[in-house]
Amino acid sequence: MRDDPTELVQGTLEMLVLKTLTLMPMHGYGIATRIEQISDGAFRVNPGSLLPALSRMERAGHVKGDWKATENNRRGRYYTITEKGRKALKNETATWDRQTAAIYKILEA
Amino acid sequence: MNWMRSLRDGVRALRNKQDRNAEIEEELAFFVQESVNDKVHRGMSRQDALRAARVEVGSTNTVEHRVWNEGWEARAERLWSDLRYTLRRLKRMPGLVAVIVISLGLGIAANATIFSIVSKFLLQGVGVGDPATLTTIYRTYEHGQCCNNLPEPVYRDIREESQSFSGVSAYYELVPASISNGAEPKREWGQAVTSNYFDVAQLKMTLGRGFSAEEEKAPVIVLGYRLWQQRYDGDRSIIGKPVDVSGHVYTVVGVAPKGFRGLDQILDPQFWVPLGDLSELTAGAPNPESRSTQWLRAAARLKPGVTSAQAEQELNVIAERLAKTHPATDKGNGFHLEAAGMPPARDKRSLELFLLAVSVVALLVLCIACANVANLLLTQAVQRQREMAVRLSLGATRPQLLRQLLLESVVLSIGSGVVGVLLSLWATYALSSFRLPVPVAMDLSVHVDGHVLAYAFALSVLAGIVCGAFPAWTASHPRIPNALKGEEAFARPGRRWALRDLLVVVQVTLSLVLLCAAGLFLRSLQSAAAMDVGFRSRGVLMMAIDPQLHRYTPERSIGMLHMVRERMSALPGVLSATVTDGVPLSMGHRSDGFEVPGRPKPQGENVVELYMAGPEYFETLGIPRIAGRELGNENPASPKVGVVNEEFVRRFFAGDNPIGHTVNGAGVPYQIVGVVKNTKSRTLGEAQRPVLYRSIDQNLGSDPSGDGYTVMVRYQGDAATLAKAMEHEIHAVDPALAIFNTTTMEEHMHEALFLPRLVSTLFTIFGLAGVLLSLVGLYGVMSYSVSQRTREIGVRMAMGAQASQVQTMVVRGGLRLIAVAFLVGVPLALAAARLAGNLLYGITPWDAKTFLTVPLLLLTIALFACWIPARRASRVDPMKTLRME
Repeated sequence: MRDDPTELVQGTLEMLVLKTLTLMPMHGYGIATRIEQISDGAFRVNPGSLLPALSRMERAGHVKGDWKATENNRRGRYYTITEKGRKALKNETATWDRQTAAIYKILEA
Repeated sequence: MNWMRSLRDGVRALRNKQDRNAEIEEELAFFVQESVNDKVHRGMSRQDALRAARVEVGSTNTVEHRVWNEGWEARAERLWSDLRYTLRRLKRMPGLVAVIVISLGLGIAANATIFSIVSKFLLQGVGVGDPATLTTIYRTYEHGQCCNNLPEPVYRDIREESQSFSGVSAYYELVPASISNGAEPKREWGQAVTSNYFDVAQLKMTLGRGFSAEEEKAPVIVLGYRLWQQRYDGDRSIIGKPVDVSGHVYTVVGVAPKGFRGLDQILDPQFWVPLGDLSELTAGAPNPESRSTQWLRAAARLKPGVTSAQAEQELNVIAERLAKTHPATDKGNGFHLEAAGMPPARDKRSLELFLLAVSVVALLVLCIACANVANLLLTQAVQRQREMAVRLSLGATRPQLLRQLLLESVVLSIGSGVVGVLLSLWATYALSSFRLPVPVAMDLSVHVDGHVLAYAFALSVLAGIVCGAFPAWTASHPRIPNALKGEEAFARPGRRWALRDLLVVVQVTLSLVLLCAAGLFLRSLQSAAAMDVGFRSRGVLMMAIDPQLHRYTPERSIGMLHMVRERMSALPGVLSATVTDGVPLSMGHRSDGFEVPGRPKPQGENVVELYMAGPEYFETLGIPRIAGRELGNENPASPKVGVVNEEFVRRFFAGDNPIGHTVNGAGVPYQIVGVVKNTKSRTLGEAQRPVLYRSIDQNLGSDPSGDGYTVMVRYQGDAATLAKAMEHEIHAVDPALAIFNTTTMEEHMHEALFLPRLVSTLFTIFGLAGVLLSLVGLYGVMSYSVSQRTREIGVRMAMGAQASQVQTMVVRGGLRLIAVAFLVGVPLALAAARLAGNLLYGITPWDAKTFLTVPLLLLTIALFACWIPARRASRVDPMKTLRME
């Protein structure tokens, strides 16, 4: 599994990032690692899509980014989910559930 | 707000682009650092970890670019750089830019100017508070719209009984008064209004207030802004001061807001007085108790939440009740509501049709201009094919090129829009100088306002996209191998009709149609101006006075007019002098239904035009007498006498001798004493109307004129000097008399030609602009085709072709386009002429002179436009071109 990471399903990245951020504020690399870990390495998120997505979500007001000093005295950008982000996550999850259920039904039939 | 944050962040990013980039860079570096730390932590060597992390991340530049591109500011920045590139490019070809901007500018100016008329009469509305709930009440008869005005008792019934309105006001549209500001008295037009008029209109007064409920009959006055500025120098302390209004003392209580001209669009009243006092001001005030005299306009303010339809329903319930209580006068009546400030539905429809027709014509001019510009841009596209091919090869995408090219044409067209608006500023100014030949105050001026600007802007952008779309598409799709070799990349071999040719055909066709219309209208103007109106217009000078405004009794008026006429006759240079109550060709004067006792009904309508005449009337106007005698100083106490025209005799007496017979007009008997030749009465284009001239002395008392009385003299010499002398004589009789409408009959006739002059001016301008534009187009296409065929022509000449043969060949190519355009254009022009038929005076829609002259003229000019490039082609040096091979 670990040798064969797949690309994320189109349009799910933002939902996964929001879900990850509900646990606690994180920086970009933290988010990427977290997604990779929880999916048992099935999904790998590279910064080429993660950072633009974070920038987009920040503009949309779903997350809030702040510069904070890390333990080894560097500056890292930490993202926090906002109230609006939580709402968006709820909506997206609901849509996603409906869609997967439908797809599943078709595959079962 | 979401978009506000996005806007703020975007602007910040744009302003500090470096900061934003540094931020992105730092975040990415941190990401890599964390990744490396993580890998080292898991046992990789630092070097391996660094390499692995770099592989994962890929090009940092790409990542940074992708993050930057997420915001709208990236798009804005690209647009801005495209814009700068476009402007730089355009700066290098000022000639092309000038031609395009002037072409499109003309087209847009034509449309903006016409739209300023649309805006004034259909969009602007009146300057009242909350115009949406202000309505005008019209009367209907048997469900058909009948009248603009209501009898006063009907207005009072509506005001008392209706529940739909928060206020119902009424006004008498135009009341003349002589207003003195201490110096010379001047005749002004105003309105008599109910005391709630200003409250219903919800006006924000410039100074003071409107009328209060107790002032229904009080001598108080509200001045119009223009009157206040012109006659009182904008004196801010005028409130509470007395002014002299036709000899009565009125107190100024307010000044209306700037630009307010009552609730109708075209009238120009400049003062407002309470309606209850009207009979004091004018002798002919309608009877306020009559249920059949329709004279008041009613404006009503809808209550909040009540729709116009609901109010109309309620009004019609009231109308049914009124029909029962007053069956003699109110049966069949109903009411109808329109938004205030709009012309009544009937007039609105014909106005809309007229404006629609003119707008279509203006759009045609714009189409011709667009075709021209598209052609020029196509030529440009051909010249840029190499540039485009290179850019495509270097990785630019077609949408990118397309965007860039479209931006170029939109920039050009917005520039043209600016030129167009400037041109139409001038055109509206010129248009505003057209006047209607009526004696009352009207405001027909048009201006470039917000609506017009928005329309011009939308039209410019649209025009830019329309002209630019095809050339841009072509330019962004070159055949790359050909283009890179420097060959023609768009020519599709074997194609006989290029788009360019088609555009020129369309242009020539449209301008042929426009020019034919212009020719027709000019001929019509010519024939209207030369039309025999039945009286001599040269050497007649006139000016008006209104003794009623100065509290003259009828007897005193008659005596004063006698004195004035005699003094005029004695002036040097005056051949004859007379007095009358109205000038012919003023778009309608007074008329009544007539009958002849003891004779069959008239052939045709029984409406007869009525003019009062003093001694020497027919001599002054040069109307030949056929039988009987003329009118003199008749005895007011004797039976009334009248002189009729030939049409009257034809209609009422079937050609028999009418002299000695008595005819009845609205119950008043007139004994016919003379017959004169026909004259035009209301307008130039009308079919002959019957006219009865009656004695001014016998009718001034019983049927006074509302517009005053006009003194007319036939003179020799200088009109301006004589006018001074005449004014002097009038003031010698009574220095308080206000003199107005001083003009010569020729000037008046000039105004009477209003419609044919307006239409022919418009079409001549449009037609000439169209021709000019399409000639530029034709010339452009021909010279382009010559430049493309230089090699071929060189070979032909080397093989022995003569210069004249080459010229013929090129001209024949142009002729092919012109021939097609004429084949389509002439039938189109004939069809258009049919539509315009009832705007023409004295000529048929298929006027042979026009339809022979115009195509021939256009053909000559078009051939000339082809011949210049042809001559250039025949000067090709075969040796040079062959060597180039």
